[in-house]
Amino acid sequence: MVYIFMLILGLMEFFATVSDNVQVGGAIGNVYRNSPYTLTIHVTIFCIFSLLMAVAFFNNAALRDHNNEFNEILFTTPLSKPGYYFGRFLGALFVSTLPLVGVFIGMLLGTYLNSIFNWIDTERFGPFYIEAFVNNYLLFILPNMFLAGTVIFAMANKWKSTVISFVGGLVIIVAYIVAGSFASDVDNETVAALTDMFGINTYSIETKYYTPVEKNTLSPGFSGLLLYNRLIWIAVGFVILAISYFSFSFKQKNKKIKKVKNETSKSDKVFDLPKLNPSFTGTTNWQQFKSFFYTNFLSIIKSVTFKILFLFCIIILVTDLTGGFEYFGLQSYPVTYKLIDSIKDNTDIFIIIIVVFFSGELIWRDRDNKINEVIDATAHTSFISMAAKTLSLISIATILNLFFIGIGIIYQLLNGFSRIEVDVYLLDFFYDNLPLFIVFGAVTILVQVLSSNKYIGYFIAILILLVLEIVLSILDINSNMVDVAGGPSVLYSDMNSFGPGLKGALWFNLYWTIFSVLALLIAGALWNRGSKSSLLSRIKTARKEVPKSYRGVIIGVTLSWLAVAAFVYYNTQVLNPYRSGDTEEQLIVDFEKTYGKYRDMATPKVTDAKYYIDIFPKDRDVLTKIEIGLTNATDKPIDSVLFFNNENWDTKINIPNSEIVFRDSTYLMSIYKMSPPLQPGDTINAIIEANYVTKGFENGRGSTRIINNGTFLNNGEILPTMGYNSGYELNDKNLRRKYDLPEKERTPKLTPGVTDLHQANYLSGRQADFINVETIISTSKEQTAIAPGSLIKQWEEDNRSYFHYKADTPSLNFYSFISADFQIAKRKWNDVDIEIYHDKKHDVNIDMMLDAVERSLKYYTENFGPYYHKQARIIEFPRYANFAQAFPGTMPYSESFGFITNLEDETDNNVIDFVIAHEMAHQWWAHQLIGADMQGGTFMSEGFSQYSASMTMKNITENPMKMRKFLKYDHDRYLRGRSGEREKELPLWKVENQSYIHYGKGSAILYALQDYIGEDNLNTAMKSFLEEYRYAGPPYPSSHDFLRHLEPQVPDSLNYLIKDWFKEITLYDNRLKDATYKKLDNGKYQVKLDIESYKIKSDSLGNETRVPMNDWIDIGFFMDDDEDQLYGQKRLKFNTDTSSLTVELDSLPVKAAIDPRHILIDRVYKDNIKGLSIEE
Amino acid sequence: MSTLKISNLSKTYANGVKALDDVSLELENGMFGLLGPNGAGKSSLMRTLATLQEADSGSASLDDIDILKQPADLRKVLGYLPQEFGVYPRITAEQLLNHIAVLKGITNPKERKLLVRYLLDKVNLFDKRNKSVKGFSGGMKQRVGIAQALIGNPKLIIVDEPTAGLDPGERNRFYNLLADVGKEVIVILSTHIVDDVRELCTKMAIMNFGEIVYQGSPQSAIDNLGGKVFQKIVERDQLNDYAADYKIISNKMVGGQPLIHVYSEDHPQNGFEQVTPNLEDVFFSKINTANVLV
Repeated sequence: MVYIFMLILGLMEFFATVSDNVQVGGAIGNVYRNSPYTLTIHVTIFCIFSLLMAVAFFNNAALRDHNNEFNEILFTTPLSKPGYYFGRFLGALFVSTLPLVGVFIGMLLGTYLNSIFNWIDTERFGPFYIEAFVNNYLLFILPNMFLAGTVIFAMANKWKSTVISFVGGLVIIVAYIVAGSFASDVDNETVAALTDMFGINTYSIETKYYTPVEKNTLSPGFSGLLLYNRLIWIAVGFVILAISYFSFSFKQKNKKIKKVKNETSKSDKVFDLPKLNPSFTGTTNWQQFKSFFYTNFLSIIKSVTFKILFLFCIIILVTDLTGGFEYFGLQSYPVTYKLIDSIKDNTDIFIIIIVVFFSGELIWRDRDNKINEVIDATAHTSFISMAAKTLSLISIATILNLFFIGIGIIYQLLNGFSRIEVDVYLLDFFYDNLPLFIVFGAVTILVQVLSSNKYIGYFIAILILLVLEIVLSILDINSNMVDVAGGPSVLYSDMNSFGPGLKGALWFNLYWTIFSVLALLIAGALWNRGSKSSLLSRIKTARKEVPKSYRGVIIGVTLSWLAVAAFVYYNTQVLNPYRSGDTEEQLIVDFEKTYGKYRDMATPKVTDAKYYIDIFPKDRDVLTKIEIGLTNATDKPIDSVLFFNNENWDTKINIPNSEIVFRDSTYLMSIYKMSPPLQPGDTINAIIEANYVTKGFENGRGSTRIINNGTFLNNGEILPTMGYNSGYELNDKNLRRKYDLPEKERTPKLTPGVTDLHQANYLSGRQADFINVETIISTSKEQTAIAPGSLIKQWEEDNRSYFHYKADTPSLNFYSFISADFQIAKRKWNDVDIEIYHDKKHDVNIDMMLDAVERSLKYYTENFGPYYHKQARIIEFPRYANFAQAFPGTMPYSESFGFITNLEDETDNNVIDFVIAHEMAHQWWAHQLIGADMQGGTFMSEGFSQYSASMTMKNITENPMKMRKFLKYDHDRYLRGRSGEREKELPLWKVENQSYIHYGKGSAILYALQDYIGEDNLNTAMKSFLEEYRYAGPPYPSSHDFLRHLEPQVPDSLNYLIKDWFKEITLYDNRLKDATYKKLDNGKYQVKLDIESYKIKSDSLGNETRVPMNDWIDIGFFMDDDEDQLYGQKRLKFNTDTSSLTVELDSLPVKAAIDPRHILIDRVYKDNIKGLSIEE
Repeated sequence: MSTLKISNLSKTYANGVKALDDVSLELENGMFGLLGPNGAGKSSLMRTLATLQEADSGSASLDDIDILKQPADLRKVLGYLPQEFGVYPRITAEQLLNHIAVLKGITNPKERKLLVRYLLDKVNLFDKRNKSVKGFSGGMKQRVGIAQALIGNPKLIIVDEPTAGLDPGERNRFYNLLADVGKEVIVILSTHIVDDVRELCTKMAIMNFGEIVYQGSPQSAIDNLGGKVFQKIVERDQLNDYAADYKIISNKMVGGQPLIHVYSEDHPQNGFEQVTPNLEDVFFSKINTANVLV
């Protein structure tokens, strides 16, 4: 057995090494496929898999003699207890580590064979480190198997039941996975690292800031948190082993003998045989069904396995709920959908396990208990028995689910949340979980009936329920019609209820439910009644076993199933076809190969747009007509234009004096030839009609943009794209190599001055600059529709609401159209209307959001310049996406955060305000000034916005230490991001749309810079930069232009910062080695600090080199343990790696720190702070 | 009056064992004993009659029910106690019998309750009706099994090795119970214990290697052997010599020495004495046709 496991793991690892289709954990980008890091990740993941194998080994070791009833013979021999006990244990331990050695072999073999056969690029392999193998074995494989082994061995010796041992193994795995979910916040990382019993999170926390180079060269080592973690858990293992050992005895446990009660009340009643009237009618069937159901149901409820799993489910759910719904240090209100999600995430897997497990138990129960012949020889139809078994499974699952819903409701009430939506819980259950239980119940019952043995049945059931999906994805089949219990998922949103997937989900539910009935009918016909016989002979005799009407019923059900199947097929494949992943990829490749030649073709620019939009929320249709002005902004005539229409939008383009000369229906592409050609500077008006009409339902959820309540579209989704869009091309460098595509620059190079590249901005390319927009938009009567600009007119017509909007200032060609049933909160700030459009259920945070907008407007107008729109709108949209986005004057904001976050106790800064401030900042950084389409472009929008938002927070924060708490998310985002970089990290000013750089590092660096050169100086630089380029159109600025404005504001002494922070990748490694104090005679305190401080430069792959230090860094002290009260901060110049300094202080602080406010980027910040000790 | 007719029933298992070899029988109301050594095919026959196993060829019918083709109809009038009767865990005797009673079409709850109590009393388990059956001793479980076989108004009761595990007292109770019902319905009792048949059955058959080797009343079988069975106590080491010279029906130990029964048309002399044959002699003479030491 052990060799089979070894072979399986070896093969999995082999394919994970040499194939891109098999991914374990994922070796991506610049990390080698055989790097120590990849190996460790694989080993730790496989460790979890092999736990179930370990259960087999340890359970077997503990119970072999017992099960073979050899124990009575063996234990009477002169065998020593420790020899027996530990001998068995160590044997199992060694054996259980062997399959994991298969991982090593798989990787070695994969690397070796790949070097011969070249399945994938050999560049993606690196050298081997023997240390990686040894350390992995000693740090992960051996200790993990040891720990799991002690638990399982102890359980097996205690309960002597294989089932309980397996449940134990399962519980370990799930407990482990759930415990891992606590490691979400940066704050409790150390706790998470130490409490992880398998050291997996420990390793990922220790390596979270590893650069690709480090991942490729460093093996896990015996140091730091990892070492402590391992020691802790090995110790735990020993304790368990010891307890188990001392409670183990060769003697058989005396079976409990219950005292027999004296039953003196022997009745002398005389019983008469009643007159019996056995009858076999419909009523009998019903009674038999009830009786079967009752006995089956009771047998599950009373079983120990069920009780263990049930209890465990509750524990997991309650622990998860206790943690609340955290978001960047804030808690969400426990809205119903959060609880529904939590219940599903935590308990569905258990309920499925219960269904699978008890399907086998119920089907084999009669036979296992040797009562099958009696039951089978009674006059009942097998179908009744099968249906009763299935129903008892479904009922158990339902009761569990309802019970968990009860827990959810109690949780809501305990948290003082009074909007209890029982109907939402129940509907979600009916739409989503109940069908799942029905299908899984019936299918697993059928599988068990067909298979010749319970365990084969389990195996097949697991294959169907788990592996089928993987197989389908490998075969590139996406249809939910072949994925058991598949269908569009419903997702409840307070705004849009169960959403666009509901219709499809209901049809798929019907499809699968009828399928389940059919499965049960088949199970009833093929049930092994009487002696065990082969499936073939059961099929032969099936006809005799079922009533005459049965065949008719089967045919009827099959026909109705086929009818539903045909309807579902028609809707999901004919009306709404979709492409599989592989086809899609190939299409993208062909797109580039076919149309890449048009890359440099000149296109006219959109200069004006007038939209007529009719939204029909009920039908989920959108009809549009757009009049656009197209201007030739080049210096040559343009004679033809390429259009790529949007998928699912029926688009008609009408350009005067033009004809279609080419059409490609695959890419919805057409080329219009204009005669006469469009001369430089000339404009023509084109009319585009684009309609989205929802037809039937889809295989997936369908569009989440055009919905019943909360339709949210942007112009790019409606209007066709002009010209070749390189944004559609494949980006992943390994994929590109696979398809023989040339290497691609992610972004054009940063170029100084004004070149052709500066003619396009990174957002709308060469398609448009700042344009005028006007919109007439209509929607159903109860909804409000919003488009950019001031509302000029509003009226009702044909029972529909009409709105006429006009933008007050030319804006980027990037705007949104939204329609929903909104409440509107308004406030006036100077002459700007602040408006928050929100769902009526989400009104708690509105005032705070208005404050945040106002605060932003104030800070930005004071520091950067005027706001050019007459409105600042925040508009809620349903939670299908979780972001906020800035369009001119309009900021759609997802319902899933912000609106439902609990801000009651938040007196000052919080992430909700921050996000608003960020989006508001975009009204300046992006919408007034936008970078050229080259490296560094996003720095000047995202980085600047992130900085601006930080400053609004800093402005209302009284304690500078609060900002440290806030900025750590940015530091963490940057350091983690660079660790996962797939290609190359770039310095800040050359960022290539890498979010960890423009958000994380952008914010950290600009915040640090204002701290060093002064807030006003930095803002002055930004302001003058803005003034040069505001709403200016091409040429667009680059990072060079920003630095041109920045440099005058930076004093010479700090000039090094521009190079270090913007133009290169610089990190600091600061450490307070020792901090001691002594009381001086004058009552003051002399504090001595031993400091290590290194400056590090990194290349794009993470190769780091130390460079000489000559930098200003703060030192400071804390008066309290919580590091809230900063005291005696000073900025000092460090020009040696190690330094020792002495400071005299009036009061005695608790802690000392270098860089106390965490301004600098430092991979290990924790060691910057140390408690003071008295000098000896 | 019901009639069970079995004609030319044959069954060969996948491993080549002939379980039933052209079995034909015709029975009417009353107790019918089916004797045979272990592995003779008794259980196969009973399972086939209880609709739990297919036959390869032949037919069987109870009155106008074709057992092989209309299993569902036969089950409505069948009481069956299999050789191995187990019970569900975590269920009481009353619950179990109640469940089986429902399955046997006793739909009236009041009737059902009275019936279950009546049967529990009959098998002397009334006081234990609320105890978990799983905890019962082997004999008690067997009594539950007997009770369930009597549920309903069966026309055909098949009991396979019913007295295994019963103490003598329980066995007597069971036989009385069976004899009561056996007057009005067909009861097939399979056993390898000769005494059971002698005490209870008016008709019997002996099976061996899947074949019916004798069919008739126990008494006529004994009569046929009249004056042809002789016995002698012999030395152990002489057994093989006797086996070569005589048709040994059986040998058993009496006081530490083998007592052999032989079949002979004439008196074999040589110290043999004539005995009045009993059913055991019939049994052994029918199945031990090769006259080997058993």
